[in-house]
Amino acid sequence: MLFPLGYAFWLSLFDYDLGSGSHAFIAFGNYTDLLSDSRFWASLNRTVGIVLAAVGLEFCLGLAIAYGLYRLTFAVRVLNLLMFLPNIVTPVVAALFLRWIFMGRWGLIAGTLISLGIFPPDFLGDPAWARVAVVLADSWQFTPFMILVLYAGLNTVDQSQIEAAQIDGAGPLTLLFRIMLPAIRPLIVFVLAIRLMDAFRFFDTIYVLTAGGPGTATETITLYTYALAFRLLQVGKASALGVLTLLFVAVLVAVMIRVVYRREKGAF
Amino acid sequence: MHRRWFTQMPLFLALAGFTAINLTPIIWGFLISLKQPVDAFAVPPKLIFTPTLEFHYQVWVEKAFWHFLINSAIISVSTVIVSVSVGTMAAYGLSRLSNRTSRGLLFGLLAMRMFPHILLAIPFFLLAKTLGLINTYPAMVLALVAVNQPFTIWLMRGFFVDVPHELYEAAEIDGCNAWQVFARVALPVVRPGLWVTALFSLLLAYNEFLFALVLTGPDTKTLPVAIAEYGGEDINYWSLSAAAAIGIMLPIVLFMMALQRHLVRGLALGAVKG
Repeated sequence: MLFPLGYAFWLSLFDYDLGSGSHAFIAFGNYTDLLSDSRFWASLNRTVGIVLAAVGLEFCLGLAIAYGLYRLTFAVRVLNLLMFLPNIVTPVVAALFLRWIFMGRWGLIAGTLISLGIFPPDFLGDPAWARVAVVLADSWQFTPFMILVLYAGLNTVDQSQIEAAQIDGAGPLTLLFRIMLPAIRPLIVFVLAIRLMDAFRFFDTIYVLTAGGPGTATETITLYTYALAFRLLQVGKASALGVLTLLFVAVLVAVMIRVVYRREKGAF
Repeated sequence: MHRRWFTQMPLFLALAGFTAINLTPIIWGFLISLKQPVDAFAVPPKLIFTPTLEFHYQVWVEKAFWHFLINSAIISVSTVIVSVSVGTMAAYGLSRLSNRTSRGLLFGLLAMRMFPHILLAIPFFLLAKTLGLINTYPAMVLALVAVNQPFTIWLMRGFFVDVPHELYEAAEIDGCNAWQVFARVALPVVRPGLWVTALFSLLLAYNEFLFALVLTGPDTKTLPVAIAEYGGEDINYWSLSAAAAIGIMLPIVLFMMALQRHLVRGLALGAVKG
């Protein structure tokens, strides 16, 4: 595990082009190249935007549903099982399913709208809509995961605390925000951290859904790296980009863990 | 009683509605796989049509998707065998180390979990190329084991930590050596955990796309890569690729139905304990 990583870092110091066969040591040339590359900054921006929107949506929706399941007294297991399905479907297959939903003109949404007499935008062909589609696609796959984890977390909250609050006259919402959420805060941070890390390397679905297009409207960092390495064959530069992504995510997660650590010791 | 129904029913309907929306893409995909292309892209979307299994037959038999299924099976099963056995031993070792030492190692493992896979795909590709392993099973299995390892160790450790220490001490007093303590005492206790870990490794290996895209060739192509090549671009292929998609999904769904209780518990456990 460490060896490939070291090798990747080593590669990132070379002007290594599989196409032309050049292989020269240029120290941090790739990095300075990337930092002045507008396509890099654009893809980083997009990635952050997509990740934040998707993880935010997943968390809010996931929390609402998990709390609903928690309050529900019957049919919980069946619903849970059915809801979980999108999460285990092969991502590539999931992306295909979503393509058939979002596809302009022939997709399910577009087709339904047209038959209602509304002319829909091309969901995958329009830059703004394509981004929305990508966010929805990620949410579709990973909200179930959030639901599951949060639901399990809610069930671990001390029952006597809840009863005490209920006797004091707390309604369902006060109960959720004042008692239950603070109790599972470490879990929340943990699951958010996991989702952030995973969302950053989100690849399969975008690759199949839009392949980064239209143009570069949905090209995330991972897709840019892939394009650099396996389309343009600039292995050195792609490695440098990978290392930068790793650093970025590492800093993000480190900050999150630090914040939790300071607030309450022993969360991890 | 009345009041309870009053609050429970809307809640149930709302959640059921969400579930229904959630399942729509899968159901729609299933319907497409049973349609003639003409019906598949009719506007307005058709709900009533004559179903046909023609495309399921075409894609699996005539387009030789069974071959990719075999590839997928070989690769995922080998990955599970290697990564679960290695992961179990490593997790057992970690669980018996002092808290201080193991904490550092665990943080290291967590850090590995956040590596962008694309960063690893490049060195894997170059290594496999120099060693002549592109388009072979070992390259794919090794790559999958490498990325899967932190997760298996992490999950298995959660199960080992639950084993009471007295059990080990008793075994040692009875004269077991280190290996026997592991194989005869610890392993049987965590057997349910073993299944959960194996199941998740299987899912990961079966679903993996990026490495498969880079490391496999015509002979070892896995199902996700094969279907991605069909794409959704050409409308005439919709029915075909929908049939393939449903076929790829089927084993997972069956697995999940069968092992439902383990799966949910394992995921919750792995995440809650973190």
